[in-house]
Amino acid sequence: MAKQYDVLFKLLLLGDSGVGKTCLLCRFTDNEFHSSHISTIGVDFKMKTLEIDGLKVRIQIWDTAGQERYQTITKQYYRRAQGIFLVYDITSERSFQHIMKWASDVDEYAPDQVQKILIGNKSDEDQKRQVATEQGNKLAKTYGMDFFETSACTNYNIKESFTRLTELVLQANKKELDVLRVPFGEELSVADLEEEEHQADVDNSSQKNCWC
Amino acid sequence: MFIFTHRRMAITGEDVTLDDIIPVSHNFAIVEVSSPDELAIIGADTRVRVTDSDRDLELRLPFGSHTRLFLSEVNRSWSEVCKKCPTEVPASQFEWLTKYRRSTKGTSTDSLSAVLLQTPSSRKQSGKLSLADRKGHPASVENNVDRRGRGEENRDDLVRSSSYMVSNKAQMLAMPQFGLRDNLIRSELLKKEEQYIYIKNFRFFLGTYNVNGQPPKESLQPWLGFPSDPPDIYCVGFQELDLSKEAFFFSDTPKEQEWMKAVLEGLHQDAKYAFVKLIRLVGIMLLFYVKNEHAEHISEVEAESVGTGIMGRMGNKGAVAIRFRFHNSDICVVNSHLAAHVEEFERRNQDFRDICSRIMFRQKDPGLSPLTILKHDVILWLGDLNYRICELEVDEVKNLIAKKDFETLQKFDQLRRQIKEEAVFSGFVEGEIMFQPTYKYNTGSDQWDSSEKCRVPAWCDRILWKGKQIQQLHYQSHMTLKTSDHKPVSSLMEIGIKVVNEEKYKKTFEEIVRNLDKMENECIPSVSLSGREFQFNDVKFMQEQTKILTIYNDGQVPCQFEFIQKLDESTFCKPWLMISPHQGFLAQGESVDIQLELYVNRSTATDLNSGRQQIEDILVLHLDRGKDYFISITGNYLPSCFGTSLQTLCHLREPIQDMPLETLQQLILMTSEEVSDPITEKPLDIPKEIWMMVDHLYRNASKQEDLFQQPGLRSEVGKIRDCLDTGTPDSLPGSNHSVAEALLLFLDALPEPVVCYSAYQQCLESCSNASQCKKVISSLPQCHKNVFNYLTAFLRELLKYSEYNQLDTSILATIFSAFLLRSSAKQEQAERKKTWDFLTHFLIPDHS
Ligand SMILES: Nc1nc2c(ncn2[C@@H]2O[C@H](COP(=O)(O)OP(=O)(O)OP(=O)(O)O)[C@@H](O)[C@H]2O)c(=O)[nH]1
Ligand SMILES: [Mg+2]
Repeated sequence: MAKQYDVLFKLLLLGDSGVGKTCLLCRFTDNEFHSSHISTIGVDFKMKTLEIDGLKVRIQIWDTAGQERYQTITKQYYRRAQGIFLVYDITSERSFQHIMKWASDVDEYAPDQVQKILIGNKSDEDQKRQVATEQGNKLAKTYGMDFFETSACTNYNIKESFTRLTELVLQANKKELDVLRVPFGEELSVADLEEEEHQADVDNSSQKNCWC
Repeated sequence: MFIFTHRRMAITGEDVTLDDIIPVSHNFAIVEVSSPDELAIIGADTRVRVTDSDRDLELRLPFGSHTRLFLSEVNRSWSEVCKKCPTEVPASQFEWLTKYRRSTKGTSTDSLSAVLLQTPSSRKQSGKLSLADRKGHPASVENNVDRRGRGEENRDDLVRSSSYMVSNKAQMLAMPQFGLRDNLIRSELLKKEEQYIYIKNFRFFLGTYNVNGQPPKESLQPWLGFPSDPPDIYCVGFQELDLSKEAFFFSDTPKEQEWMKAVLEGLHQDAKYAFVKLIRLVGIMLLFYVKNEHAEHISEVEAESVGTGIMGRMGNKGAVAIRFRFHNSDICVVNSHLAAHVEEFERRNQDFRDICSRIMFRQKDPGLSPLTILKHDVILWLGDLNYRICELEVDEVKNLIAKKDFETLQKFDQLRRQIKEEAVFSGFVEGEIMFQPTYKYNTGSDQWDSSEKCRVPAWCDRILWKGKQIQQLHYQSHMTLKTSDHKPVSSLMEIGIKVVNEEKYKKTFEEIVRNLDKMENECIPSVSLSGREFQFNDVKFMQEQTKILTIYNDGQVPCQFEFIQKLDESTFCKPWLMISPHQGFLAQGESVDIQLELYVNRSTATDLNSGRQQIEDILVLHLDRGKDYFISITGNYLPSCFGTSLQTLCHLREPIQDMPLETLQQLILMTSEEVSDPITEKPLDIPKEIWMMVDHLYRNASKQEDLFQQPGLRSEVGKIRDCLDTGTPDSLPGSNHSVAEALLLFLDALPEPVVCYSAYQQCLESCSNASQCKKVISSLPQCHKNVFNYLTAFLRELLKYSEYNQLDTSILATIFSAFLLRSSAKQEQAERKKTWDFLTHFLIPDHS
């Protein structure tokens, strides 16, 4: 059975418009796939609970607009992420080229210890492939990232890649987490903790006072 | 003082209902009650009596320092009330209470939570009070339910409040501090138990022995070790372990160890047992052992005791109980010693009820209410229940026993009769009694009591159970043991225990978590928008355009929306846009119209004319604890002479909108850098737009009454603007007043005023000296100088017709100084006068 404490992580999906960010999220959280492209105009999120090493991890996954004209705005959301998916479409050379730009934006705007993995989506469309698996592998290696080819359409490697990034974030935050082993029923977000470190204690105790 | 009742353990504001409000007024009193028939026991509830003019109630407050603090606070505020107004306060002083009183009747949680959230200190008090138990209504819990279930009109309330709960539950999922998620998972797991458990039988040995204060003198093996196969679990109860006064008052006794040792040695020899728990209340002791191999499946072990002896509290009578979880079944074992004496069966029934209601096991999760005995899957009840055989003489009883006619004898057993009458042990089962009464023997023998009292034999020592899948394999007494005046009794039970299939459990667990995630995702605030792109075509100077954005709450929860600013911008939209309302609250299914009003005024016109800015913005609509939506604003602005500099206009021979956009932008860029180098041809002396307006007024309005004082028409000013910007029609449309206003608006919109900002300070300094003033003007850039001279000449011309147009120097100086001499900072009153002085020098007729 899961241990009696929770952690909350925030993950972010980045990549050109149409690479399949929204579909990846939908497949992962609702096990659904839509073949029509309704471009995301804004920033959306969904929750999912994963169990990793017997630890209940709740992840909040942010799906961003990929269209170029919104990029200056979406950058302000990088700050809150602990893990980032850099997504391209294997049938689009262009989306692969743009990964460089996305990665450099991440370097500039995301927190230093943010974990990243590279995703080449639409692996089911092999006949339209423009980016070889080897190219993806190579790029991931130069960035020191893990790499997955996925298909939101056939549900290939979806759970694996989300679990992997969560694991990486978990590892990166291990130190903080050990401190966070709180009595059950309470849930902490590492991100929130950074901001509210000092408040947390006070809040918890006052909460108890007034209801018990 | 606010009094709340609660349905279950109060976790949130939803759980408590405002029951009463008592003003701490003059005739209010709160006193502690200590009834003489109850010993002051440390840790007991504090009972207080609250009285005022029309109330008298008794409340129980939990023992502890916060109750003390609360009481002293209430008394302090009461004494302050008395100090302030020694006479009685009229009721009207508490009028503000009416708004809360209304909510005490219904179940309006809204207003209730408002009360709860009032102030930190009041919140603290109400929180404590919610634990108070109103003695007048011992069933305050059921009370609420009753009240709602009763009337027709109340049913609505119930429906409404239950749906309120659902959406609230979802909302609260997002609030980690409530730990609601864990509770939901737990209760869902419980509901779906049959999906992941299977039933497996285990054998429980239950024993009860009233040892009459004797130490162990013989082996207990004949009693505990008799089953052929070793049982899985042993629960062994003793009564009258120690009858000494020391045990009664100091609760310490060497007998505990002695009997424990005897039990351990008496357990079945063919298996190893782990000791799990011991609990003792004076002479009532319960021991709990499991086979080693099962130890890891025992969890959540808790033990409690309750005295039902003298004053309802002392431990010479009462019960001890151990609860535990074995695999997935919750089991409670009770060992009780009930009131003695033949005629006291009612008292014994009462003891049973007391034990059931007073024993409460704490739960690991403090948010859950304590567990009572009857809430367990399996209840095993053993002990010296003390029920006797009645209506028969000693000899008749002994006769029946001799004949082994236990069936007839049982008809006179008080316990059987009381159970039949449903007066006690309801729902419990006892096996067939095939052994002779276990009480009372001469100690050390199998002889019936031969003392003076010559007690009637009785089945005092009994074992009962409640629960499903339970089968009794043996139920018997053990005559060979002669230590006590009672004989020990044992029962071997086969009990079906819920065992978890780990794989299926995991699957169920995951399914629950998945559903919760789904529910949570569905409850993320969400809206739909009537549009994501708003295009404003042909935007003109000072001509507003409004578009409506409809926000519809299509989510499952109410939401709070707000337009938020972007990373490096200080406002949430560009200065030429107005959003109203820019924030608000939307209930489920509700919608709101947001006005997007675009209006270019003089402060935004210049950058739009020059192309440095476009009608382009992205708004971020943020939902509290939810998504963000981007809304694009696009459009095109029609450049206008309004807001364009004199320099630029002097280079425009054509109407501004006839110029190709690029040429215009280039021109503006160059002239703004004050490159006096003529681009193509020699610039105009003054902008043709000024000339058109002034010339129009000169020819048509010299004698116009109230010129420059009567406002023009908005629509005509717009047409004049269009005429100036496009060159059609040939002559300016509109009334004289509209043209006059257009002229003033034009001057007001100039990015650089006619008297340049840089010359402004000089103007103030030289305002008392006419020739100095003239010098300042002559130092202005050529086109500014030209415009100034042209305008002042025109004004002097107007003054010639003052008998018609009622203008005088003072009026014109007042109006025009404000437009011609502008400060880049805020203008002081004294400065205003100086600019007036300055301009006056140029309006005096002889000056030319
Ligand atoms: N064949 C195939 N098509 C996919 C896959 N994933 C997404 N698509 C399609 O790609 C299109 C775009 O998917 P989206 O998920 O909406 O793209 P996005 O990255 O969210 O785009 P923006 O919201 O505009 O940034 C849709 O038509 C999907 O059906 C996949 O794995 N295989
Ligand atoms: Mg998308």
